[in-house]
Amino acid sequence: MTNHKGNFLDLLKANECQIQLDLPATSGNGASPAIQEIEGTTVLAVRYKDGVLIGGDRRATAGNVVMYDRADKLLQIDEHSVLAIAGSPAMAYEMARVLEHSFQYFRRSQLQELSLEGKLRTLSRLIRENLPMTLQGIGGVIPIFAVYDLLNEDENGGKIFFYDALGAHFESTDFATSGSGSVWIRGILFYQNRWGEKPLADMDEQEATVTVLRLLDAAAEYDSATSGYNPKSNIYPTVKTITKDGIQDLSVERLQEIYAESVETTYAR
Amino acid sequence: MLDEPYRWLEAVNNRRDYIEDQLRGGSPVVGLRYEDGLLLVTIGRGQRKIFEVHDRIALSAIGHSADIERLRMMATDTASVQGFQSSVDDVTLHRLTNFVLGPTIKQSFEAIFGSAYIIKMLMAELGVRGEGDGFVALNYDGTLQSNPDREVIGGTHEAETAMQHYLSAADTSESSLTDSLQLALETWVVGWGLGLQQTEADSDEDANEDSELTTDKERLHEVLRDELQAGEIEGAVLETSRRTNSKFRLLTSGEIDAAIADWL
Repeated sequence: MTNHKGNFLDLLKANECQIQLDLPATSGNGASPAIQEIEGTTVLAVRYKDGVLIGGDRRATAGNVVMYDRADKLLQIDEHSVLAIAGSPAMAYEMARVLEHSFQYFRRSQLQELSLEGKLRTLSRLIRENLPMTLQGIGGVIPIFAVYDLLNEDENGGKIFFYDALGAHFESTDFATSGSGSVWIRGILFYQNRWGEKPLADMDEQEATVTVLRLLDAAAEYDSATSGYNPKSNIYPTVKTITKDGIQDLSVERLQEIYAESVETTYAR
Repeated sequence: MLDEPYRWLEAVNNRRDYIEDQLRGGSPVVGLRYEDGLLLVTIGRGQRKIFEVHDRIALSAIGHSADIERLRMMATDTASVQGFQSSVDDVTLHRLTNFVLGPTIKQSFEAIFGSAYIIKMLMAELGVRGEGDGFVALNYDGTLQSNPDREVIGGTHEAETAMQHYLSAADTSESSLTDSLQLALETWVVGWGLGLQQTEADSDEDANEDSELTTDKERLHEVLRDELQAGEIEGAVLETSRRTNSKFRLLTSGEIDAAIADWL
């Protein structure tokens, strides 16, 4: 029996278990793909007082067709990390699954938690292995990885990382956005953080949630692939907090309340 | 000469004696139910003995540490690959013990020119929706024994019988963690103390105290106190109410201290 030293991808390969991310590139002629790929849309993470607050809309589209309006783009990987996905759900969900099992396999086989650096590198490797798909124009995934680092010496261990298509990771001090709607809100976040009433890092959970919901609404206004609140089916964006106590989903009731109070405001005329 | 049936039987029996001799000094492991799941407890000397195999499966063992490690990795690898390939719901203790670990152990036990696993394992599984909880004990020859509420492994067959007997009247399904932990530790002492007496009995013939331990709690706690000078309590639970997918966690020192506070 070979010892894989806690590396789950190597264990899978030794067992001849193919993961979706290993799919070979097909016709690489640079022409646009024959199938319309389903894509996910706007996710964002902000570093607030207690950690990281992360939000995502629910719409999945293929071209200009809305495929699904209840997609969950915030995937819990372990007790203190969340992967927020934008891009191809097929690849992204598989990536999240591999990641979750990798961290668990490391802990179970090596009897210690994988370090934060180790976790970031595992995700890097997955994104890099997915490069042929990304280059083809289908199957690209550009995620945000948000964690609470319990070993961090600062008071706030919330950390946000974003990736490029080649798998390089960057730490963002205040916020990160990804997906087609992100272009509309990145500038607003910068403005808000710099000249708003208070910087993101000083906001409490309520204030950060209001900000995130407003931004998702703004993205939905301009980006057809992003949905805000859908009143017909009563679907809200998903919001999670990552603090030292773990990951918490904001309940629909809570979102409903905040939405009605602070987001759904109309002009007087 | 081993192609003669009698010789083969003799060789297997020699092997049995040899392995039992090696296992004799093993620190018992006690598996018990408590109100929020399943509990595994032992007293170790530095080496960790209770492990997480998968979301709902835990493993503990006595024996040679290299053998424990080999089988632990086999269980972990198999469970991890299966859980990923199909679903974590398809990883069950029954499949692991009956189709993977049991046959592996038996095969090397009977392959008398190779080395046998010197091991006894106690595994626990937390079922889904409150059904199918239980313990499985695997012997060094690949046979297994299961029980939904309690199971033990110890250095000798006699120690195991005494521990089973000590537990037989107890129903811990409504017990708090502290209560179950206390009962498990007492059971451990019963098994361990019997082993001690038997080693002493080899030199002097005065071994008829085993009933004393099971009736005299004071004496039992005294033995435990002595053992804690050198050893350390190790415990883990598969906890139903745990929020994450993985239900396994090691007991904290606070939880262990709460159980033994009155006895120290």
